[in-house]
Amino acid sequence: MIKITNLLKRYDEKVALDHLTLEIKAGTIFGLLGPNGAGKTTLISILNGLTKYNEGEVTVFDLPLNDNLNAIRKRCALVPQTLAFYENLTVIENLNFFGGIQNIPADTLKKNIKYAVETNRLGSMLNQKASTLSGGQKRRLNIAIGLLNNPDILFFDEPTVGIDPESRNEILETIMSFKKDNKTVVYTSHYMPEIEKICDEVAIINAGKIIKQGTLESMLTNESAEQLIIEVYETSMEKLKASCTKMERLTVIDETSLLLEGKESNTVSEALALLEAENIAVKNIRYGTTTLESLFISLTSKGRADV
Amino acid sequence: MFKAMLIKEFLLVSRDKHALAALFVMPAVFILIMSLALKDVFNEDKALIEYAVIDKDHSLESYSLLSKFRANKMMTEHNVSDDFGKPKEEGVQFIVVIPEGFKSQFSQNEANNSALQIEVASDIGQSHLMLFKTQVLSSVMQVRLDAINLAAEMQSSMRGEKSEAKKIEFDEKSMMKIHYAALEEDEKPTSTQQSVPSWIVFGLFFVIIPMSTIFISERKQNTLMRLSTMNVSLPILFGGKIIPYMLINQLQVWVMIAVGMFVVPLFGAAALTIGGDISALIAVSLALSLSAIGLSILIAVTVDSVEQATTIGGIINILLGAIGGVMVPKFVMPEFMRDFANVSPMSWGLEGFLDVFLRRGTLDDVMYEVVGLVLFGLVSLIIAAGIFNYKIRRVA
Repeated sequence: MIKITNLLKRYDEKVALDHLTLEIKAGTIFGLLGPNGAGKTTLISILNGLTKYNEGEVTVFDLPLNDNLNAIRKRCALVPQTLAFYENLTVIENLNFFGGIQNIPADTLKKNIKYAVETNRLGSMLNQKASTLSGGQKRRLNIAIGLLNNPDILFFDEPTVGIDPESRNEILETIMSFKKDNKTVVYTSHYMPEIEKICDEVAIINAGKIIKQGTLESMLTNESAEQLIIEVYETSMEKLKASCTKMERLTVIDETSLLLEGKESNTVSEALALLEAENIAVKNIRYGTTTLESLFISLTSKGRADV
Repeated sequence: MFKAMLIKEFLLVSRDKHALAALFVMPAVFILIMSLALKDVFNEDKALIEYAVIDKDHSLESYSLLSKFRANKMMTEHNVSDDFGKPKEEGVQFIVVIPEGFKSQFSQNEANNSALQIEVASDIGQSHLMLFKTQVLSSVMQVRLDAINLAAEMQSSMRGEKSEAKKIEFDEKSMMKIHYAALEEDEKPTSTQQSVPSWIVFGLFFVIIPMSTIFISERKQNTLMRLSTMNVSLPILFGGKIIPYMLINQLQVWVMIAVGMFVVPLFGAAALTIGGDISALIAVSLALSLSAIGLSILIAVTVDSVEQATTIGGIINILLGAIGGVMVPKFVMPEFMRDFANVSPMSWGLEGFLDVFLRRGTLDDVMYEVVGLVLFGLVSLIIAAGIFNYKIRRVA
């Protein structure tokens, strides 16, 4: 769906994107992680035709971006980090304006507004001025505007900044619901738990380069980590917890997995013996980390971004 | 697309109380105040001079002079005592003392040392003093002519002849007829006709405030960026500003004209009349609107905050108004200032409107101003587009 090859972007002498190569498949929720100044926003800007690049190739829907910008834009939407709408207009006036400006036929627009309103649960506040909405409601309106052209690709630039946990969860659920509607989502965020919760694939970008990319599962498999994941056949949490109390370095992740701190053979042998004694059948042992955050920190701490 | 932009701008402006006040209330109030304040300046029947007379001569001639003064509609007499103070203290602008022996002025055989003594309030300007002096001289001249006519009549009578010689008249109406250029005979310009054009011009340029405020908010909130991702190009973006604000400006023009026609007369000043072509009026107002909108967009893309826009926009408006003859009429300016006034587009718009309201102008008469205003607007828009693109490229 989106294919980026050898992309170079310079701001004067500073390199923002350093021969970056990336592929985003259709229908995925793709997380773009990186510290401030890593190049995430530059990449999103390039993909939306807001920023020109110096070298490389970008194709979206198999179309070269530069030659098909208008056609590509009609099938994409950007939901910026800022609340990019009119505070003095009501919710429905904002939706009508941003829909009308895109020359969407009236019938289609009506249908799309209905979808945007329902998806973002804005139905009860259509005639409310945007300035009177809560922080979470404003964020939802910001997303709803992005749905007015029924896009195939949605770019989210940190859409949950500054809102309460409940609203954040609502928004994440909304974004996850796009998957069933066959939409591709490119999602940037500083909140690692969000990425873990909603993304199928993740790329970690630092100093303008992709330093790791893959499915969330593969990202969390880290051979250099000092931890192992022991996968077991499903059993009760109580039984697993009771077993783990007998070995300090063993902790429960969920009903089918345990985390073992350390990968030395005697530690592994001890854990396996314990599980056998407790009648817990082991399915698999793999290298792993507990969170994306620890992986992110270990990867990005190797080099600091300049841009 | 334009319909959506039109509706959006109208809704935003209609909900901005400050913008509505600046666009409609402020110029309407100015029209009302200035029409009433200047009402008497354009009314020759209205007293402009407050004076008092101390007659120490008590002669036929001094009484005759007093009666001439009293017959002059431009002057209002007040009474003061013989030990009068300064004119200001007596509540008048001038005190005329007719000295003892004043009548000797009218006799060729007697020495003339009986000039009128005129006390002038210290805040009286030279033009006002000149006006009063002219009125006094005119009255004295009439008294003298009356004396000459009377003497001639008496001589004829003594000779037993019937006087056939025609009296020498010194009457303004018989000596001159006043005709204002392009107006009907006996028609006079009114303060409303002078005031309405000025404050329409001033009011139109106040679109700077709402337009730049909305534009800067759009830029700061990344709404413009969002619109770019929706394939809204720069010409469409500017067009989406120009068309709604042009309509708002036209609404302003007709609201101000309605105030001049229907509200101002309620307060005692003359009603506005449109002497010239309506097509000329529409052409001037559209051209002026384009020039005001061009300048507004230029300011909006140049400054970085709403505070800067309102401050700089307000200052530019007032300066252009002051230079362009909106605040101080050009006819009272010295010549170099009158020439300098031509640098202000408000001056071109004002001249165009005065052509229509005051000089019965046609489309041809206002074409010079219309072309100038359109060019000013287009050049402003081109510069604004350049600055806007430069700023976007710098960010990108």
